Amino acid sequence: MDMTAMCDVAFLLLTFFILTAQIRVQEAAEINPPTSISGIKVPDTDIMTISLDKDGKVFFGIDGQPNRVSMLENIGEVYGISFSDREKKAFSLLPNFGLPINQLKSYLSLKPDQQGQIKQPGIPVDSTASLQTNQLSQWVFNARKANNKLRIAVKGDNLAKFPNFKNVLSSLQSQNINKFNLITGTEAPPAGWTND
Amino acid sequence: MADIDTGGGGGKHKGGKVRSKKGSTRVDMTPMVDLGFLLITFFILASTLSKPSSMTLNVPDKTEKVETEPIKASKVMTIFLGKENQIHYIFGKAANEDPELKTVQFGPEIRNAIQENKRKIGEKDFVVVIKPTKESTYKNLVDMLDEMAITKTKRYALVDQMTPDENKLIDPKMK
Repeated sequence: MDMTAMCDVAFLLLTFFILTAQIRVQEAAEINPPTSISGIKVPDTDIMTISLDKDGKVFFGIDGQPNRVSMLENIGEVYGISFSDREKKAFSLLPNFGLPINQLKSYLSLKPDQQGQIKQPGIPVDSTASLQTNQLSQWVFNARKANNKLRIAVKGDNLAKFPNFKNVLSSLQSQNINKFNLITGTEAPPAGWTND
Repeated sequence: MADIDTGGGGGKHKGGKVRSKKGSTRVDMTPMVDLGFLLITFFILASTLSKPSSMTLNVPDKTEKVETEPIKASKVMTIFLGKENQIHYIFGKAANEDPELKTVQFGPEIRNAIQENKRKIGEKDFVVVIKPTKESTYKNLVDMLDEMAITKTKRYALVDQMTPDENKLIDPKMK
């Protein structure tokens, strides 16, 4: 049997998938977002993601390695912690993290495979403006200082309780951030529904 | 199989020169094709084909105090997101006016209720107030915001504070 044609198609597909593939990044927490009919796509760049997992733990991440480094430097100044170049490098490779600031240094000194085994406790967040109990608002503030074009996306798990989301919301609102995106899965709108 | 025919295996040439017999150049490509499909499978599975979508949420500025006219309770549908994905709503009356508390599920039930109430009041004046309780999940909230988009309700507010009257009203449902 002549398999030339099939062979050609197979490799064409292979090339296509290699070129279009975006390898899934390793997330610090598994999050199943709810679905919505909204068709707005999440931008790829200049985005800050605040994730809320089902136990109410908060994770934080921004894109762009240089931005991550300058964010870390900024936040180090706020808390009086200085990071070595090696720690900065390790930090710039994290897509997101959920650690209180005092545990960050020891986490960054671990090897990547050890990092994966650690259960991250989440970033402390509440509705106050305290430096210690609401570290999320400090991260948000310093991330925007590092890159002021950042858009804010909140990605919550289906089972996350509302009070946890409220804390995230109020730490954003306290900084006058009143517009943000909620990341959701895609769902077909009901029959006959039109967008106008 | 895909192969290149080089027309080997020459034999009797005029010159009488005896060439060594060439072996067949047919290459068995089955392993290569196997590998190709294996890689295709890998890239299909590893790539994120469906990009997540996002909905925009605008919340009012907390620092800015704008005096607005109080909304008449008769035009407001207040939706409480309760526990176990239940929705309780009151319509047309404030919480202290002994309103009828109705309980519905997500999906067509709540959608029809919103649309029906909207028809009674009229597109322009109809206001929905969404009050998630402590027991509700993030999914409930997003689903409710999605309902707002589906029913094209333009005027809605997300309020996280419950008044004492509302608490009294909703308490029996929360147990």
